[in-house]
Amino acid sequence: MSEIDMAVIKPEMMKPYIWLETSDGSIQQVEQEIAMYCPLICQEIIQKGMGSSKNCAICLPQRVSPATLSLILDYCHFHQVPGRSNKERKSYDEKFIRMDTKRLCELTSAADSLQLKPLVDLTSRALARIIEGKSPEEIREIFHLPDDLTEEEKLEPLKNTTDDPRIRLLNRLYAKKRKELKERERLKNVEAEEEHVDERSVDDLLSFINGNDGDPKGVKTSKNKKKNRRKKEQQQKNSSLKEASEVNKEVNGQNIRHQSAEADRIAETSNSHTEDVFAHREFDDGDIDDGIDPALKEKIDREVEDFARRLNSDWPERMQELLSSGQERKTILFTPNGNSFLRRNACMFFPCFE
Amino acid sequence: MDDAMGPDLISDLPQSIIESILVQLPIRDAVRTSILSSKWRYKWASITRLVFDDKCVPFSNDREVVEKSVVKFITRVLFLRQGPIHKFQITNSKLQSCPEIDQWILFLSRNDIKELVMELGEGEFFRIPSSLFNCGKLTRLDLSRCEFDPPHSFKGFVCLRSLNLHQVLISPDAIESLISRCPLLESLSLSYFDNLALTICAPNLKYLYLEGEFKDICLEDTPLLVEITIAMYMTDDIAEHFEQISNCNFVKFLGGVPNLEKLVGLIYFTKYLSIGIDFVHPPMMYNNLETIELYQVNFEDMVEILVILRLITSSPNLKELQISGSSNIPVSVDTPDLDFWEKECLSDSTLNKLKTVKLSEMGGWLHEIEIIKYLLGHSPVLETLSIIPCVFDVENNLKMLIELVKCQRASTRAEVIFTRQ
Repeated sequence: MSEIDMAVIKPEMMKPYIWLETSDGSIQQVEQEIAMYCPLICQEIIQKGMGSSKNCAICLPQRVSPATLSLILDYCHFHQVPGRSNKERKSYDEKFIRMDTKRLCELTSAADSLQLKPLVDLTSRALARIIEGKSPEEIREIFHLPDDLTEEEKLEPLKNTTDDPRIRLLNRLYAKKRKELKERERLKNVEAEEEHVDERSVDDLLSFINGNDGDPKGVKTSKNKKKNRRKKEQQQKNSSLKEASEVNKEVNGQNIRHQSAEADRIAETSNSHTEDVFAHREFDDGDIDDGIDPALKEKIDREVEDFARRLNSDWPERMQELLSSGQERKTILFTPNGNSFLRRNACMFFPCFE
Repeated sequence: MDDAMGPDLISDLPQSIIESILVQLPIRDAVRTSILSSKWRYKWASITRLVFDDKCVPFSNDREVVEKSVVKFITRVLFLRQGPIHKFQITNSKLQSCPEIDQWILFLSRNDIKELVMELGEGEFFRIPSSLFNCGKLTRLDLSRCEFDPPHSFKGFVCLRSLNLHQVLISPDAIESLISRCPLLESLSLSYFDNLALTICAPNLKYLYLEGEFKDICLEDTPLLVEITIAMYMTDDIAEHFEQISNCNFVKFLGGVPNLEKLVGLIYFTKYLSIGIDFVHPPMMYNNLETIELYQVNFEDMVEILVILRLITSSPNLKELQISGSSNIPVSVDTPDLDFWEKECLSDSTLNKLKTVKLSEMGGWLHEIEIIKYLLGHSPVLETLSIIPCVFDVENNLKMLIELVKCQRASTRAEVIFTRQ
């Protein structure tokens, strides 16, 4: 259809103004030439014939507020003039982009919904420049992001901790302890041993985990009063862990706190899993000691093996497990000490991809 | 906590915007966004463009330490991501050939790689693994310092549009067959090749960049070529070879490029074109040729001047001309062959569109003056003619200026700018 035809058939179409409706319901008149710079508006006018009057105003997408629309129209107004040089356009863009972050994000979103690609590129580049080089805290501050990752999740997955000599040492100790455990199992009778009631509070336990010298015996589950065997094994297990963390402290005199955080984290992981094991076992044939012990021993073996494998295995698996066991770990309260400990170390770990 | 600060500004933007933001961050910063919040944990993992440059790991003076950490970093990033990878670029001067590269390329070949750029450091060349030749979706390939040896069964990259090989060890047959087996190839760049005799058959080729020691270049099937840049280095072997060939290079090279818009020739290019030119007329008119740039032209050699004249007179729409001499000053008062200029019957040709002329490294050769005279006298719309002498020698420059002042000008708007160094 030539222009003349169109003018004859539908004179309204040649009007230089079109009507746009923004997200809040307000309708405004805009010069057609300027608005056509946005592909979405262009499409609406040409393909659907909308916008020629107040009644059939073009409904703009939800993300375009009146303020954002006026910014976008300013941008279009400048850029749709064909005669401008690249230098002029660039310097306009640089000035245009200077606004607070909130508006910048809204503008990006609106430009995307109007399919205005040059503006999307410009605004996303500006957002990238804001993010570049800043620390995570600063970025969260700027964009109001919730700090809702656990400490483990923050300990950057790209840091390969299995390279760490401390971890390898831990693994070796676990293997040794496992062997000892097996030995003791074989030698022991199926006699009830002295009951050991664990009366320590959660806080005490946590301070033990966090590396203070505490009572090496026992761990949480006070429900296991009758299951002495299990408890004894658990004790031994924990003492081995405690030993391990102590050994670690000796190994590298310099950075003691650093290490024990590492060891503690692993100790705590292991704890939570043995806790799982116990919790599970409890509801099963709990009264038959004989039946349980070898099965339990196997369970423990498997668990330690599993843990060692996990430490040495591929990252995606590890991530999965960290994620799934994150649920359990969340129930463990951190003492303020331990928390800042790990957090400080998280910041230490994070930037260096060793 | 976020109630006090306000609503989250950015995490809910569409993935395409997030991706376009992350892609404009250096890779380290992009990966770091994974600890911002739970929503951001894996946003980085699906970006499709990965660029690893010299800044992606912390700096250290020990090259091996840096290399190890770069290798670890790249391997882990690849491992932790998900989704296709469209662009993979390594431009790192500390990284040299190492076995992990084979694994990376294998991984990429399974993940729809489209653009691959590998510019490693100086040192041992790495050998391209065979898995590269299985990357069926490759559209851009940029390699430097490697050994490229396609298997016999290789059928070419059917989607390849841009090929850039720099300091690559490849046999001449392999190059020619690679070029001819990439039917969509639009841009070809070969640099630092030794002693190569090349025949190019690329029906879609638009941009050609060649730099190196070329014995012979034949553009056999390149009708769509728009821009050519050639830098030809010379060795004694090649010089001898030049003496012996009898066909006309001008025709062989420029005989099949009717759509040419820009021609840039460096170092020995004009000399190369000059061989065999005496006997033939120019093969065609280059109606689209608007820019000619020739560097290191030897104004002592009349045949090279002839090349320039033939090019100019075959380009009726020429707008911009740049000629750079070879930094020699005439030491003796030689008697050049001025008949040459009359023989060429240049008086009836006009350069109707020529607007800008830039002459640099002018030594004061007589032929230089003659060319300037010709250009000034036959360019009715000329706006600027700038001359930069190669040395600041008052005597020499004065001689040049005296001659210049005598020249007739066809264009009243022409400005002759003589720049003193």
